[in-house]
Amino acid sequence: MTCKECLDSLSALVDGELVADEAAAVRDHLATCDECAAQQAQLVEGTMRLKGALMRYEAPDVLKARIRASLARPEAEIVAAPRAVPFYRAMKWPTAIAAAAVVAVLSSAVTLSIANRNAAGDSLQQELLASHIRSLMPGHLTDVASNDQHNVKPWFNGRVDMSPTVPRLDSLGFPLIGGRIDYINGRSVPVIVYTRRQHVINVYSWPSNAVSDKAETAASHGYNLIRVPRDGEELWFVSDLNRAELDSFARLFTGKS
Amino acid sequence: MAEAQAELFERVVMPHLNDAYTLARYLLHDEHDAQDVVQDAVLRAIRHIDGFRHGDARAWLLTIVRNCCYTWHKSHRRERSNVSLSDDSALMVADANTADDATIRASDGELIRAAVDRLPAELREVLVLRELNELSYREISEVVGVPMGTVMSRLSRAREKLAAVLGEGTRKAG
Repeated sequence: MTCKECLDSLSALVDGELVADEAAAVRDHLATCDECAAQQAQLVEGTMRLKGALMRYEAPDVLKARIRASLARPEAEIVAAPRAVPFYRAMKWPTAIAAAAVVAVLSSAVTLSIANRNAAGDSLQQELLASHIRSLMPGHLTDVASNDQHNVKPWFNGRVDMSPTVPRLDSLGFPLIGGRIDYINGRSVPVIVYTRRQHVINVYSWPSNAVSDKAETAASHGYNLIRVPRDGEELWFVSDLNRAELDSFARLFTGKS
Repeated sequence: MAEAQAELFERVVMPHLNDAYTLARYLLHDEHDAQDVVQDAVLRAIRHIDGFRHGDARAWLLTIVRNCCYTWHKSHRRERSNVSLSDDSALMVADANTADDATIRASDGELIRAAVDRLPAELREVLVLRELNELSYREISEVVGVPMGTVMSRLSRAREKLAAVLGEGTRKAG
């Protein structure tokens, strides 16, 4: 065996990928050639260093949540097909709203049960639900991705006509993911995104003069929606998280314990 | 239908999701891009689940993730500087850090990761599939779609390049 043949096979030898007689031939050469043996030693050491330095990444919970949410609805899955992504991104807002409405209609799921049921309230909830579902599709969850409220809150300056509250709740098990702007109820609204285990929570807020200060809740096919009026604004929490935990999140978020 | 797909995801894909995400991170260099591409890849995989039923789920998933990463690269080439296809292995980091030994020791890991990031994509992918995903040469050849001999020579070249960058340039030293 020549030195070149030996060196060409070293990687495979170190990886245990040579068949027995090939490996034996390379080892025979290494035993007689100091130069090739030194190369082997360096390759082994380099591989160890490499393995020590490279990190394996853990798939984030929010990714699992998005995949599960997409799979839960075949209709959503069709819209989430890769070609739809640039299509969605290129769309103007009115088209996007129409598309969101289509998503909402397609999800035959949209049979919201709510105590004080009225047409306007229903369509708002459908919009919120469509927005939530669309946010779970690739590339739609956040416009600003950060777990630091000092990055998320200022991002909205000049983009919407209000400054949303962005409390830090990660020590309570609700890490911040980021924020985005959505179009709901005829206006651009800030959306703050949190997670709980593998569930995404979208928090919508806008100014409101509504006299009713009663909290409302609704549920639809595994999604929970909670409305909390607060000091001239209206907050909506939407998630597939269970009702009890979403309730407690809403209380922590608004500071009403 | 939706339930069957959800069940397939949990049973077949979930065990390999970290592997898939790791590969995407190394091929795309960005966590948000990697999340988007892995989500697309998994949805594709579940839709075409028949393609693998009797094969190796991990190699099959990684193949789809890899293809989605390259498709993503193609469609975003104009928007971003294409680091991955750069073959410039001269590392400025290396020069900056020769100042003192402490710096060198502290940044050994960073230096290696930066060197891996600078590898051409075709070398980086075989290296990641081997060292992090711990695939055999045969599995790598399936995922990348090249003969095993090519896997072997690319892996050798990847390690040589790294050794050269990291100051273990053995051939010229010897």
